[in-house]
Amino acid sequence: MVIGLKDGAKLFGISVVCFCAVFVCTFFLNYYIDARAIDGVVSGELRVLYDANMTSAKFTCAITGGVLCLIAVVMTVFYVKLFIDGNAKRFGILKAMGYSDTKIALSFWVFGLSTFIGAAIGYGAGHAVMPLIYREMTVDGLPAIAIGYHAELLVALVIAPTVAFSALACLYARLALRRNAVAMIKGVRSAAKYKRRSSGKQRGFLVDMSLSVLVGKKSVTFFVAFACFCYSAMVQMGLVMSDLSSIIMGVMILVIGVVLGVTALFMAITTAINANKSNIAVMKAFGYSAKERSLALLVGYVPFALFGFALGTVYQHVLLTVMVNVVFGDVATVAAYRFGAGYFFITLGSFVVLYAGAMAAYAVRISRVPIKEIMASE
Amino acid sequence: MITATDLYKSFNGGAVKALRGVSLTVNEGSFAAVIGASGSGKSTLMNVLSGLERADGGRVLACGQGISAMTDKRLTEFRRKYVGFVFQQYYLLPHLSVEKNVRLGADLVGNKDYLREIEAVGLADKLKAMPSELSGGEQQRVCIARALAKNPRILFLDEPTGALDESTGRSVLDYIAKLKAERGFTMVMVTHNRNISEMADVVVEMNSGNVVSVTDNPAPKTAAEIGW
Repeated sequence: MVIGLKDGAKLFGISVVCFCAVFVCTFFLNYYIDARAIDGVVSGELRVLYDANMTSAKFTCAITGGVLCLIAVVMTVFYVKLFIDGNAKRFGILKAMGYSDTKIALSFWVFGLSTFIGAAIGYGAGHAVMPLIYREMTVDGLPAIAIGYHAELLVALVIAPTVAFSALACLYARLALRRNAVAMIKGVRSAAKYKRRSSGKQRGFLVDMSLSVLVGKKSVTFFVAFACFCYSAMVQMGLVMSDLSSIIMGVMILVIGVVLGVTALFMAITTAINANKSNIAVMKAFGYSAKERSLALLVGYVPFALFGFALGTVYQHVLLTVMVNVVFGDVATVAAYRFGAGYFFITLGSFVVLYAGAMAAYAVRISRVPIKEIMASE
Repeated sequence: MITATDLYKSFNGGAVKALRGVSLTVNEGSFAAVIGASGSGKSTLMNVLSGLERADGGRVLACGQGISAMTDKRLTEFRRKYVGFVFQQYYLLPHLSVEKNVRLGADLVGNKDYLREIEAVGLADKLKAMPSELSGGEQQRVCIARALAKNPRILFLDEPTGALDESTGRSVLDYIAKLKAERGFTMVMVTHNRNISEMADVVVEMNSGNVVSVTDNPAPKTAAEIGW
């Protein structure tokens, strides 16, 4: 086997994103399907609340599921590219030996395993919390909604994504493998690609190094911003929802936000460090201090992290305004939504502490990158 | 001057003994070539002398500093102040131009005149070129410029011509010898090529982790005169 099952199953980031997406979609879609059974008996004032509940379930699934699905797609492509770059020599040798690109690419189906693991656990967890969610969404006066089991959700949320993500990994691998075998063995990247990144501006080495780290792996920059976006949007939304809806709902959203944010940040920065190990080792050999090495690698991400946080704040504000003031606008029992400045500052404070803590931990990791990365051993 | 006394170094929990009581002196401004077969311990010796790696036992005195007992932080400062490296595999930063790669060394010591180093290795017309656009010899010359841009007192070279053909190798050695003659830094070069060692002032031969001979060379040859 060209790629081991272990390689395919260890894409932690994809598993976490799939878990979150499937977890949310499982109970909301299940509720949506079950609640349709009472559609004919709801009328009058209750109808407004019932419709709002149904719209909310659909809306949440579409937004959360859709966004997380897109992120999982980007992550899969990112991981496949990273895996091919990291194993270029191995794939180059296989190509040189006569393996076709398609034959090698087909072995990337195992990358779907991470999707399966995350989706299956999310599906199970979604069912586990379902009684709680149904109770939270119960409306006085409406007939009780019984929890039904819908096999089509297992297909739609676990089996289909696994197949789709396996296919995506194979297709993208087929494209990414279209490189010269000798160049892959030698680890040569196209001169044109590096040329485009070159700038004629006169800046210090550390500034240039920092910029090149950002430009060199744009996907990492994206995931840093995404991590901060998730944290900001979902923590603030969780805090607001614990006031507007229920504490359970709020805590659930908050926990998903923290897990997603931490996972994406971990994945992004780890990738950046691994991709720059030999550069860090050269800097260390030449005498750059641990602080200088860390700054060169990490400081460039700060503006993108802040941008992600700001975007997350705007996103959750717009989403809650639409959900509460528009979808539930006619429901008298639902309080009006206003931007929570207090929650914003709590989230910002915890974000600064978490982000600074994470960067301090990564600075230690950077300081421990051994010079052995570049040393001759004899 | 570099003085090493009774150096020991082993790997894999003592299974591989790379240095077995090595003692050595390299005089200020001289060129020492360390030769030996693969596995003789010459690269380990260079790593220990340059402060890239710590010995398990023994002492190293370089530029008046006892580096054997230094912390990681102080070793980094030592390398920053006194040492330059040229690696066999170049280790240029692939996403930065020639000029910016050389600034890696120059900025460490605030050397604003780093273009002089690029001119000295004959690459003034390749300032904006990326490493992938250069030949092996040109890349090695960028490494030399990068190392010299920090005005080192000791230059360590690990098989600097190991990945080059004869003509390019001779040209690189010629540049190194010329720059050493101009600036007078101490130079320690690890090589498996005995012919190259004929350019050195002193030849240190190693075998199985021991220094088996230290030979003064009263008439060092030029890069054009040595065999290949």
